[in-house]
Amino acid sequence: MADEQRLVADVLAKDRKATADFVSRCSDWVYSFVRYRLTPRTEMVEDLMQETLLAAWQGLPNFRGDGSLRSWVLGIARHKVEEYYRRSIREAESPNDEDSALEPTVIPMIEQQLDTAMQQERVQATLVLLPETYGLALLWRYRDGKSAREMAELTGKTEKAIERLLARAREDFRRRWNDARS
Amino acid sequence: MPEADVDKVFRSLLSVPHETTDQAPASLKARLYSAFIRRQQESGPLASLDATVASAHGICVFEKLVQIAPVAEKVKSPFFCQVCHARVLAENFDNPPIFWPHCPYVEFKQS
Repeated sequence: MADEQRLVADVLAKDRKATADFVSRCSDWVYSFVRYRLTPRTEMVEDLMQETLLAAWQGLPNFRGDGSLRSWVLGIARHKVEEYYRRSIREAESPNDEDSALEPTVIPMIEQQLDTAMQQERVQATLVLLPETYGLALLWRYRDGKSAREMAELTGKTEKAIERLLARAREDFRRRWNDARS
Repeated sequence: MPEADVDKVFRSLLSVPHETTDQAPASLKARLYSAFIRRQQESGPLASLDATVASAHGICVFEKLVQIAPVAEKVKSPFFCQVCHARVLAENFDNPPIFWPHCPYVEFKQS
């Protein structure tokens, strides 16, 4: 802790070596965190890391050292990732959404015996093919564990609209998954 | 398929076994560091190299030359790595051929 307090003081004093140490430590923490949440849509990892580190630096005067620097920085990273999900989904066009007869998605596709590693590979490959909004909506809902209601509150959309978005995303996922198999 | 089951299938599909503890690529650290220092400079000069040495941080051979140069302190404060080839190599390669002690870009590839 004392080591972290000193590091913070030196970064605030704009010591370039302390800054290098800060960037190196934070990058490793934030990289794993952000990558885990965005994989396979990793094109935004670098931007989100930069935004996180910058926000951390700007907020360093408020770092009191009650918890670890790692927890504090990861809290900022969590917020940045969530903001990215929220922005992307909020800005997405909502097609005429009365086609919600898509639900419930039927998924006759998951081979129970599929090798886990192979399945992961196929999931990533399918996610990459989806439109960005669909991919992010699925990741936010199923990897990050946000409920449709929470997603609706955070994006300013109705819960119904989010459910329709998720239904379309699942349907597109299922279609591409099956296309890849055939 | 009931919605709860659909959710269960997707949760299982999209979960990743565990969050890894991968290190960030050295080139990414290098780019972030350069961007960071540039931002720091926008709000005033960086700490002097004398202060850096006084804080028990090492400085590289090029910074040492600047530190001992008989010039005004403000001339010594810029981000000299901006013109160093070590920065360019480090920002573009994960294992660049740079080896000077106390160069942050060298340390990124070793961390």
